[in-house]
Amino acid sequence: MNHWLIVPILLPLLAGVFNLLLVNRRPHLQRTLSLGATAALAVVAMYLVAIADAGHIEVYQLGNWPAPFGIVLVLDRLSAMLILLTAIVALLTLLYAINGDDQRGRDFHVLFQLQLLGLNGAFLTGDLFNLFVFFEILLIASYGLALYGFGAVRTRASLHYVVLNLIGSGLFLIAVGTLYAITGTLNMADLALKIAATDAEEMALLRTSALLLLVVFGLKAAILPLHLWLPALYSNAAAPVAALFAIMTKVGVYAILRTYTLIFPAEGSVPDVASDLLLPLALLTVAIGAIGVLGSQRLREMIAYLVVVSVGTLLAGIGQFNVGGITAALYYLPHTTLVTAGLFLLADLIARQRGSTDDHFTPGPPLLQPTTLGVLFFLAAVAAAGMPPLSGFLGKLLLLKSVQPQHAIWLWSIVLSGSLVALIALSRAGSRLFWKTEGEQATTMQADFFRLAPAATLLAMSVAMMVLAGPLTRFAEATATQLLMPQQYLDAVLSSEETS
Amino acid sequence: METLAALTIAVLVTCGVYLVLRARTFPVVLGLSLLSYAVNLFLFFTGRLVTGAPPLAGGSVPTADPIPQALVLTAIVIGFGMTAFVMILALRARGELGNDHVDGKGGNI
Amino acid sequence: MDLLLIILLPTLGALLPPLAIRFGRSASAWTAAAITAAALLLAVEPLLAVFNATPVEYHLSWLPQVGFDLQLRMDGLAALFVILILGIGLLVILYARYYLAESDPMGRFYGMLLLFMGAMLGVALSDHLLLLLVFWELTSLSSFLLISYWNHRTDARRGARMALTITGAGGLAMLAGFLLLSHIVGSYQISVILDAGDLIRAHPLYAPTLLLILIGAFTKSAQFPFHFWLPHAMAAPTPVSAYLHSATMVKAGVFLLARLYPALSGTELWFIVVGGTGLATLLFAAYTALFKHDLKGLLAYSTISHLGLITLLFGIGTPLGAVAGVFHIINHATFKASLFMAAGIIDHETGTRDMRLINGMWKYMPHTATLAMVAAGAMAGVPLLNGFLSKEMFFAETLYIVELGSLSWLLAAAATLAGIFAVAYSARFIHDVFFNGEPVNLPKYPPHEPPRYMKIPVEILVALCLLVGVFPAFTVAPLLALAAGSVLNGPLPEYSLAIWHGFSLPFMMSLVALVGGIALYSQRHRLFRLRDRLFPVPDARTLFWQAIEWLIDQAQVVTRALENGSLQRYSALLLLAAFAAIAVPLLDNRGTLSGPLPMTPLDPLTVLGALVMIIAAITVVLWQRQRLTAVIALSVVGLVVSLTFVRYSAPDLALTQLSVEVVTIVLLLLALFFLPQQGMAESSHARRSRDLLLALGIGGGVGLLTWGMLTRPYETIAGYYMENSLPGGGGANVVNVILVDFRGFDTLGEITVLAIAAIAIYTLLDRLQLPMPTTDPQGRVWSQERHPVILAHITRFLLPLALLVSIFLFLRGHNTPGGGFIAGLVTAIALILQYMASGIDWTQQRWPVQHHPVIASGVFIASATGIGSWFFDRPFLTSAFGHFHLPLAGDFELATAMLFDLGVYLTVVGVVMLILANLGKLTKRSTPDGEPN
Repeated sequence: MNHWLIVPILLPLLAGVFNLLLVNRRPHLQRTLSLGATAALAVVAMYLVAIADAGHIEVYQLGNWPAPFGIVLVLDRLSAMLILLTAIVALLTLLYAINGDDQRGRDFHVLFQLQLLGLNGAFLTGDLFNLFVFFEILLIASYGLALYGFGAVRTRASLHYVVLNLIGSGLFLIAVGTLYAITGTLNMADLALKIAATDAEEMALLRTSALLLLVVFGLKAAILPLHLWLPALYSNAAAPVAALFAIMTKVGVYAILRTYTLIFPAEGSVPDVASDLLLPLALLTVAIGAIGVLGSQRLREMIAYLVVVSVGTLLAGIGQFNVGGITAALYYLPHTTLVTAGLFLLADLIARQRGSTDDHFTPGPPLLQPTTLGVLFFLAAVAAAGMPPLSGFLGKLLLLKSVQPQHAIWLWSIVLSGSLVALIALSRAGSRLFWKTEGEQATTMQADFFRLAPAATLLAMSVAMMVLAGPLTRFAEATATQLLMPQQYLDAVLSSEETS
Repeated sequence: METLAALTIAVLVTCGVYLVLRARTFPVVLGLSLLSYAVNLFLFFTGRLVTGAPPLAGGSVPTADPIPQALVLTAIVIGFGMTAFVMILALRARGELGNDHVDGKGGNI
Repeated sequence: MDLLLIILLPTLGALLPPLAIRFGRSASAWTAAAITAAALLLAVEPLLAVFNATPVEYHLSWLPQVGFDLQLRMDGLAALFVILILGIGLLVILYARYYLAESDPMGRFYGMLLLFMGAMLGVALSDHLLLLLVFWELTSLSSFLLISYWNHRTDARRGARMALTITGAGGLAMLAGFLLLSHIVGSYQISVILDAGDLIRAHPLYAPTLLLILIGAFTKSAQFPFHFWLPHAMAAPTPVSAYLHSATMVKAGVFLLARLYPALSGTELWFIVVGGTGLATLLFAAYTALFKHDLKGLLAYSTISHLGLITLLFGIGTPLGAVAGVFHIINHATFKASLFMAAGIIDHETGTRDMRLINGMWKYMPHTATLAMVAAGAMAGVPLLNGFLSKEMFFAETLYIVELGSLSWLLAAAATLAGIFAVAYSARFIHDVFFNGEPVNLPKYPPHEPPRYMKIPVEILVALCLLVGVFPAFTVAPLLALAAGSVLNGPLPEYSLAIWHGFSLPFMMSLVALVGGIALYSQRHRLFRLRDRLFPVPDARTLFWQAIEWLIDQAQVVTRALENGSLQRYSALLLLAAFAAIAVPLLDNRGTLSGPLPMTPLDPLTVLGALVMIIAAITVVLWQRQRLTAVIALSVVGLVVSLTFVRYSAPDLALTQLSVEVVTIVLLLLALFFLPQQGMAESSHARRSRDLLLALGIGGGVGLLTWGMLTRPYETIAGYYMENSLPGGGGANVVNVILVDFRGFDTLGEITVLAIAAIAIYTLLDRLQLPMPTTDPQGRVWSQERHPVILAHITRFLLPLALLVSIFLFLRGHNTPGGGFIAGLVTAIALILQYMASGIDWTQQRWPVQHHPVIASGVFIASATGIGSWFFDRPFLTSAFGHFHLPLAGDFELATAMLFDLGVYLTVVGVVMLILANLGKLTKRSTPDGEPN
C-alpha cells in the first residue's frame, strides 16, 4: 500500500484549504503556499511516473476496503503521465500568474489548487461514480477560474460553459445509473468484468450508457459538434487560466481513452460504440477546427481553435484503438498541452504591448520586444502547425504512420491540410502582429524575465520533446500496450486484498 | 408502479429539457433543477422499488439497496451546490450584461 | 561524425553572428565566414573519400519506433551540393558585408543565412527520406525569414508568406509521397530505395507516390504552374536571391529529381509529367523574362526557365540527359549567382533596378560591366563559356527523343525556341543596362564602381564560368563524373566535354539560337507592343492573394455560422446528441426492452403523489413567466420527491432532500428579487415546438430507460455492505456508513464541491451591483419595515431548539437516519431564519462569524481524519474501528467517523451561511435605482 498515490490529491486539497484560511489576508503567503504545493506536486508526480514505468500497476484502497466495495486509486502509466503533465503546466502557469494576475480577484490560489485536486483525482480514481465526483470538483473550480476577473464577454462565455456542463453532469449520472442498474457495481475494473459477462438482453441499455458517456466526455474534450463553447471561453479567459485550461480538454480525452479501452473495449461485448464513431468525429473536428483557425480574427481565438484541432488529432489517434494510434496520441498529448499553454501566455505578453489593438490582427503599435517575443512566437508557430522538426511534426508523423490503409486517405488529407492551413494562418498572424505596425509604441513596460521565463519554458518543452522523442515514444508505446491489454489492470485492482 | 415511475421521470425530464432551452436565465435555472430532481429519482430507482425496508443492518432482510441511496445523497448535495452557483451566476450575468438573456441579447432590462 | 558536424556547425553557429554584431559589422561577417570556412574544412576529408569512390556515412538512432534515425550519407551528388552550398555561401557572406546598408540588422541576416545553410546541407546529406523532409521544410522556413528580412515592406512580407505557403504545401504533399514510398520499399533509407527501382515502378501505388513527390519538387524549384512565388521572393536582399533563389534552395527540387532518379524515373508517367512540366516552364519563363523591366525580375524568370531546362533534362530520362542536367546545375549556379551579384551592385550604385532607367553603365562601371557581360554570355550559351557546353548537351539530347514518334522534332524545335528567348533576354540585360544611351534620372547619380571586396565574389564566379567553358576536361570533369555517377546509380554513358564537336546539329541549333535571339532583341519594341495588345497575362500574385483572402473570408463565415454565441443552440446540440445516444440503441434493440420482473401493484397514495408531481412540473413550465408561481410549483416537485424517498425506504434521502429544498427555495426567492419578476414570451412558435419535440424525445427516452431498468433483475455488491456495516463500519445505518466509511472519499469530494461552490459564489457577489425593484409585479411598494416583530421573537426562541435538534440528528446519524449533512442544514436554516426575521445587522452583531474559516476548518477536519489513519499504517480514510481491541472499541470507532462527519457538518453550515448571508447583503448594497449607498 503505497501512500504516495494519494498525495497528488491531498497536496492541492490541503494547499487550497489553508489558502482559504488565509483568504484576503496575506497574498505573499498564499503565493508561497500555492507555489510550494505545486512544486512538491511536480516532484511527487515524477516519482509516480518512475513507479508506473516499472510496469506494474499500483492500487490504493481508500478506507482499506477492497475493490469493488471501497473506492480505489489506480496508478498506471497513463494516470502517472497525466498527473506529471498537469503538475508541469500548473507550476509554470502559476509562476506566470504570481506576477500580479493572481491579485485581480478573490481566491485565485484556492480555486487553482482545488482545480488541480479535481484533475488529479479524475486521473487517479478507479471508480466510475468517484470519477463523477472529481469531474464536479474540477468543473466547479473551473467555473470560478473561467469567471476570474469578470467582464461581460467572459461572464457570458462562462455562463454558457456552466449550463452546458450542468446538463452534462446530469447525463453522466444517468449513464452511471444505467450501468449500476445492470451490473450492480461502480468499480471500473469490476464493471469491465460484469459487462463482459452480461447477455444480449441487456445490450441496449449498455450501449445507451456507453454512448451517453461518449457524449459527456466528448463535451469535456470538445468534439464536434460539442466544441462550440470552447473558443469563446478559452479566448476570453485570463491568461494563466487559459493556459491551465490547456489541460482541461485532455481530461475528456483521458476519460474516453480509459472508458473505451477498459470498460467498453473496442472488441468487447458492447461493440461499435467508440470504435465506429470516434475516428470520423475526430477527423471532422480537425477539419472544423482548422477552418476556425483560418477564420480567426484574434490570436487568442486562433489558439483556442488550435486546441480544437489538437483534440481532433488526439482522438484520431485514439479512435484507431491500436498501439500505433494510441502511441501517437500519447506523444502528441503533452506536446499540444504544453505548447497551447505557452501560446496563451505568449499571446498575453504580445497583447500587453499592443495597447488597444490587443491581440487583434489589425495593424497596431510596434512591439517593445519584437525580437524576444518574435523568436518565441516563431518557435510556437512551428510547433503548433506541426512543421518539422519540432514535436508537433513528430506527433503527426506517428499518427500518419499508425493509420490503417482503409482510413489512410481521409486521415492523411485532413491532417496534412490541417497543417497547411495552420501554417498559412500562423504566418499571417505573425506577419500582422509583429511586422505590419503603425504609429508609436503603446507601452514602455517591458515583459520582465519572470513573465517571459514561464512562457519560454513551456514552448521550449517542444524542443525537448523533439530531442527526447525516442524515450518519450517508448513510454507512450508501453502505455498504449498497457491500455490495450486491460487484464493487468483488472488483476491489479480486483485481486488486491485488505491489508488489515 | 414501474410504469408510473417511468412516466413521472419522463415528464420531469421533458419539462426540464424544455425549460433549459429557454432564452432567459431564470427558466434555465428552473429547468436545471427539474432535471436534477429527475436524475436523482432515476439514480434512486436504480435500486428498484423496494417499500418499507430501509437499509438498516441487523434489521429485516432483504432491505432496499443502500448504494443508490448513498449515491443520490451525494448527488443531491452536489446538485444543491451547482444550482446555487448557477443561480448567483445568473445574477452576476445580469449585472455584467445588463439583462437576463442567456446570450446577453437585447437592451438593459 | 564529420557529416553531422558539417550540418550542425552552421545550424548552431547561427546564434553567433547576432551576438558578434556587438563588436561591429565586420566582426559579425567574419564570424559567419569563419563558421562557413570551418564547415568547408570539415568537408574536405569526406570529400576526398568520396572522390576515391567510397561514400561516407553516419548513423545515429533517434526515433526507433518509426525507424526515424539520423542517417547521413555523402556520395557524388551530395558532394557536389556541399561544395556549391559552402563555396557560394562563403562568397555571398563576403558580398553581403558590403551590400547591406548601415541601417540593416546585419547580425540577424547572417544568423538566418547560416540557419539556411545548415538546413540546405542537411537536404544534400540526408540518407533518410524523413530526415530529408525535415531539412527541406527548414529551408522553406529560413527562406521565409530571409525574404521578409526587410519586414517593414509589404512586398517583402507578402512575398515571404507566398513562398512559405507554396513550398510548405509542396513539402506536406512530399511527406505523404515519402510515406507511400517507404511503405512500398519498406525502408526510409534512400540508398536502399535507389536499389529498389523496379519494385517501386511495378507497384500499384507508384503513380500517387510519384505525383505527390513531384509536387514537392516542382513547388520548390518553381516549376510551372507553381513558379510564381519565385519572382516575388526577389523582395529579399540580393545576396539572398543570389544564394537561395538561384544557386541553392531552388535547386533542391531538381536535386530531389536527381536523388530519386534511379528509383522513380524510366516510366511513361515520369517522361510525360517531368518532361512536360520542364518544357512548359522552360518556354514560358524564357518568354516572360524577356518582358521584365525589373533587373531582378528578368533574372528570376531566367532562373525559372533554367530550372525548367534541368527538369526537362531529367524528364527525358536518358543517362546523357541526366549528365547534362547535373552539368547545368553546376553551370547555372555559377553564372546566375554572379549575375545576381552584379545586378545587386548596379542596384546598390544606381538606386534602381528598372532597366528603362539604367542605361550606359559601361561608362561608369566598366569593370562590373565586363564581369556581368561574361556571365550573361554564359547564360545565353555563348561558346567558350560554361553555359554553352551544358546547353549544347541539352540540344543534343532533344534530338535523340523518340518517345513522341513522328512529332519528336517538336522537342528540338521548342528547345531552340527557348534558346532564342534566352539569348534575347541576355542580350537585353547586356545592351539595355550597359549601353543603350544615357541613364534616365537615376535616384543615385553619378554611379561608380562598388567597393573592391564587393566585386571579388563576382570575379571568382565569372572566372569559373570561363575556366569551365574553356578547359572543361581539366576543371569540372571529375566532379561532374562523380555527381552524375551517383545520380545514375550505375555506369556513366559515353560523353565528351570538348568545346568543339564539328558542325554538328546541336552546334547549328546554338547558332540559330544566337542569331535568332539577337534578331528578336533588335525587334523588341514591336514585340513589347504586340504582347501588350495580344495577351496581357493575368497576374498570378493577385490571383493568389484573392484566393487566400477568399479562403479566410469563407472560413470566417463558416465559423461564425456555427459558433454564433447562442447558448440555446449549443444546449440543443448537446441534448440532440444525448437523444441520439439514448434512442439509437433502444430503437435497434436486438433483445426486448422490458425485463422479466413482475410489476408491483399501484396504490392510490403513490399515484396521487405522482400526479401532483407531474402537475407541478407542468405548472413550472406553463407558468415559467410568473416566476414566483414557478418557484412555488418547483418546491412542490421537490417536496414530492422527498416523499417518494420516504415511500421507497430511504429516510436519509427524504430528510436531506427536505432540508436542501428549504435552502434552495430561500435562495431562489432571494435571487428572484434581483431578476425581472416576469419573463416575456420571445421564442418563435417554430423554436418552441422544436424544443418541445426534443424535450419529449429525451423525456421519452429516459422514461423507457427507467422502465427497462425497473423491470430487470440485477446482481449487486450491496450485500457486502449490509454484512460489513456493523462489524466493519460500526454503524447500523448502512447509507450513513457508506457515506462516511465505505465511500467516504466521495463525501470528502462532495463537501469540497460545496466549499468551492461557496467560494465561487462569494467571488460572484464581489462588488456586484444590481438594480432592485421598488415594487412587486402588482406595483405594490415593498414594505420597508422588513422585520415582523412576532416572527423575530419566535425565531429567536426557536434557535436553541433547532440547534438541539441538529445535534440530535448529528449524533444518531451513524445508526439511524440523520448525520452531519442534515444536521448542518438544519443549523443553517435556523440561523438563516434569524437573518430573515431580525435582519442582517442584528444577527451579525450577535453572531460575528467569518464563514470562510468555518468552511476551511470543516474540509480540513474531514481530510485530517482521513490522514489520521496513516499513523496506524492504514490507507487514507480508514475508520479507526477495529484497530484497538478494547471493550470500548465501538466508541473509539465512532470517534473517527464522527470527526469526519463533524467536518461535513461545519462545511455545510459555513457554505449555506456564506451563500445566503452574502446574497442577503446585496439588498443592502443595491438601492432601488441600482446606485451604491
